Amino acid sequence: MLDFATILAGLGDAFSPTNLIFVIAGIIIGQFVGAIPGIGPVMTMAIAIPFTFILNPLPALSLLIGIHKGGLVGGAIPAILINTPGTPDAAATALDGYPLTKKGKPLKATKMALYSSITGDVFSDLVLITVSVPLAALALKMGLIEIFALMIFSFSIIAGLVGDTISKGIIAACLGILCACIGLDPENSTPRFIFGNFTLYDGLPIASVAIGMLAVSEIFRRLASMENATRAAIVIPKNQSPEDTRISFKEYWAVRYTLLRGATIGTILGAIPGVGSTAAAFMSYAFQKNSSKNPNSYGKGNIKGIAATESANSSVAGADFIPLLTLGLPGSASAALIISAFLVQGIQPGPLLFQEQGRLIYGLFGAMIMANMVNFGVGLFGMRLWIKIVSAPESVIFSSAILLCIVGVYLSTGGMFGVVIMLIFALLGYIMNMLGFPTVVFIIAFFLGDRFELSLGQTLNILDGDYADLVNHPVAIGLILLAMGSIYFFMFKMPNATKNTTDELSED
Amino acid sequence: MIFKLFKNLATLASLVALSTFANAQDWKPSGPITLQVGFGAGGSTDTLARVIGKSLEAQTGWDIIVENKPGGGGVAMFSVLATQKPDGHKLGIGVNLPILMQLSLRGDKIPFKADDFDYLATIATAPLSIIANADAPYNSFKEYIEYVKKNGKGKVGFDAGPQKFLIMAAANKSGVKLSLISHKSAAEIMQSILGGHVDIGFSAGTHIKYLESGKIKLLAVATNDRHSYAPDVETMVEQGFGNSVEPFFILLLQKAMPMTLKPLWLRCWLMH
Repeated sequence: MLDFATILAGLGDAFSPTNLIFVIAGIIIGQFVGAIPGIGPVMTMAIAIPFTFILNPLPALSLLIGIHKGGLVGGAIPAILINTPGTPDAAATALDGYPLTKKGKPLKATKMALYSSITGDVFSDLVLITVSVPLAALALKMGLIEIFALMIFSFSIIAGLVGDTISKGIIAACLGILCACIGLDPENSTPRFIFGNFTLYDGLPIASVAIGMLAVSEIFRRLASMENATRAAIVIPKNQSPEDTRISFKEYWAVRYTLLRGATIGTILGAIPGVGSTAAAFMSYAFQKNSSKNPNSYGKGNIKGIAATESANSSVAGADFIPLLTLGLPGSASAALIISAFLVQGIQPGPLLFQEQGRLIYGLFGAMIMANMVNFGVGLFGMRLWIKIVSAPESVIFSSAILLCIVGVYLSTGGMFGVVIMLIFALLGYIMNMLGFPTVVFIIAFFLGDRFELSLGQTLNILDGDYADLVNHPVAIGLILLAMGSIYFFMFKMPNATKNTTDELSED
Repeated sequence: MIFKLFKNLATLASLVALSTFANAQDWKPSGPITLQVGFGAGGSTDTLARVIGKSLEAQTGWDIIVENKPGGGGVAMFSVLATQKPDGHKLGIGVNLPILMQLSLRGDKIPFKADDFDYLATIATAPLSIIANADAPYNSFKEYIEYVKKNGKGKVGFDAGPQKFLIMAAANKSGVKLSLISHKSAAEIMQSILGGHVDIGFSAGTHIKYLESGKIKLLAVATNDRHSYAPDVETMVEQGFGNSVEPFFILLLQKAMPMTLKPLWLRCWLMH
């Protein structure tokens, strides 16, 4: 399908000095924002997208991928050092990371997190690069009805995996779809829920909803729960023996199966559109704990716990691109933002991308490989700096973060209107968090919502009232049965392990 | 992407190179000129607006700001433009069809009328076509209708209201059952056609490279005139279906702006 020259040209683009600068810049920004609790890579990407309008497609995407991957590494640092995850997907890392810090081994723990992250990321990038081309050919055969069934399946998985109970997950998903209904309907272009406001014709602006829900509501939550404005300084013990600050190859090799299992879980969950890295991290942690001979050592500073969670949450980053590139469906909030960056460049992600933009795709793969190497290097050398940043006063961090959110949304939506929407959704997100409704599920459902509705319309039009015709779509029937099975599983048979882990965290 | 569009752009660029601007001295804007775009950044309308903005700026020396106001295929932007102070500092760029559709479907709910604006220029046209998979057993829209008559029902992919109307009119006329499958963009219609999920669909430019590689064929031209790149393909009107779809990219002025400035903008455009 693709000739060798295209692949080489793409890789050549990726490894050009200009592109390298964008990757490095992305990684540094990503690790920086990841390390600061309250600001995350999602918010940073949303702010960065308007600035990528003027760039060529490859540097623009390289920058965003750099931020994304850097953020996954950076998020672990505050989780380990101050028990406050920089990004939601690092929450599980805190379970064993913080006890290690208390034992006086913060450097060892952050290094393990870095190595595991990079291992997981490389693994899933390799899977992405090898399977996506044949999958794209398959995806073209994936009919409109099958895509609809796939979306139902991923809703059922994400509603069950994230949050307290599956019923709260389903409610959050429905609320997300409801908000996605605002604007013109896809069949007859009838305006809905706009209340005479024509700026809502194209629906709620994605950047406003994402930043409001994920970033601003998180800042509100932290401000509300802040007891005293100064945090205890992080003390890195001096004159430690090397074995307490380093990870030897022997120690790395000892966790190889943990890493592999984490990366596999992350890659599989990442490939299902809608399931994000937080779920993967907790699932991998639960598996690791259950299969261990000594489960009680987890949560008390077992280095394997870090390996399990960090390899899983980072491996979602590469696998997220599988549904993104082959079907044009976002796997997570960051993937949805990357799709909007593709669209801004006039490129439609989907199965034809590999034929139309082969060079760009291989450039993208090259950039991902390079980002992993840069991520490792920057992580290794920048770690001590990020540790300093983690202890920056919250008053400075939160006020500058709010300012950045407002500016970013103002830029990307073209006016104050987007900022108002952002604040409304920040409040909604705060309330949902308080009542235990998962905001991540809401966001994914909101992102997939208009695709979901379009897909429903397409399905109904194709079937044209003749539901017996579904027999000709066995893949769709299979996916819907799987969705029903997974709802049954999450409602009645949910393994207690995963839930317990989540509960422990929320009690902390 | 779109042949005619590029041709027009090339003409624009050469005109810019040849002409000298002589009339701007008569009037000086009291602030920046805003060129308001009815679509988001990165689309074809936005690209056109930015090219025009840049060349107008080079010609006149005025500050020209391109502002994106997406929503409702241009309705959001024109709603704002209609209510802004008519000082001659504002131009709107949009596409005629979505606005006319909205005005005719729910004109009473829309805060402007077609008469609120003055037409300045047509910037480009979109050469809309009806396409099918290359191995489909029909070679024109007429043959497709015959095929559907024999086989029960057909599936047509579309991504804008006027296309839907065109197909509905053709289906009513010939008494066949066509399911209209809504898509987000021409690129998605292309996926559905190549994957065999719909029979035929609409495209203005996305199909060109598939046409060249022989994976797609043209069944009919949806506009009134045949396309220069495929002079043998008949239009829908020529195939006996009576209607055509004509999307124009247009540049509009506020009607209420000072009368004296209108000829100036016109000259400005023509010189440009």
